[in-house]
Amino acid sequence: MDISEVLKHTSPQLFLPNIQATDKNSALTELVKGLIDGTEINNADNIMQMLQSRENLGSTAVGPGIAFPHGRTLSVQRLTILIGRCPEGVDFDSEDGDPTHLFFVLIAPPQDSGHQYIKSLATLIDRVQDADLRDALMAAEDYDAFCAAMKGDE
Amino acid sequence: MNPQLQLLVALQDMEGMIKESETQGTELEGMGFSQDGLENLRAARDELVAKVDPRHISWYRRLTERFGHAVVPVVSNLCTGCFANIPSQFVSKSNANKVQRCESCGRILYWP
Repeated sequence: MDISEVLKHTSPQLFLPNIQATDKNSALTELVKGLIDGTEINNADNIMQMLQSRENLGSTAVGPGIAFPHGRTLSVQRLTILIGRCPEGVDFDSEDGDPTHLFFVLIAPPQDSGHQYIKSLATLIDRVQDADLRDALMAAEDYDAFCAAMKGDE
Repeated sequence: MNPQLQLLVALQDMEGMIKESETQGTELEGMGFSQDGLENLRAARDELVAKVDPRHISWYRRLTERFGHAVVPVVSNLCTGCFANIPSQFVSKSNANKVQRCESCGRILYWP
């Protein structure tokens, strides 16, 4: 799956460039609110519970300064990706102990044929290994600039 | 939403996560996602089950065994389990706070 295909599952309404959260739980709350505000999804409590359960399985802060909260829930009809940026950084229980600045939230329905969201996760994780790209993503002025940086020379 | 239905939706999501960890854990670990909390997640699932009315759990277990998923979303007035039309009275306010089942297949209905 290429990065352009992955980015089809997000939108300018699902881009939160300036998250103010100061801890993991408030970060998740802000991200879920962004999902509710930016889509027709309405079961915030269910999505929050699902994401918290996923974090209890193991922190999703696996990239350098990046977390990928994700999971499947009945509350969505299609794969939806929200992008969040936290300039100050937040403790998201990362393995290296460093603060998390960038979030890719992937929410998929239970029947996700072809495991689209697993493939999307893999593509995103692979793409953000480049330190220069991560700097560009944090500096991107808006959603379009963010997506252009993600696509790079593709 | 009916609190019991909310619990059933959460339960189905959690059981899906447990199953995914059991079947695709190696792939997910390869991406860096630890699955170390699987036992904690199973314990949380058991706590959730304890909160659900035993009659609903009984339905849920039978339906899961039969269909894979006990709770299904209603989309465009259709049960997405069997694609039967859901009568309009099911979505009326008088019924909105009940745990409802498809009259055709028996699956538990959820309006996302």
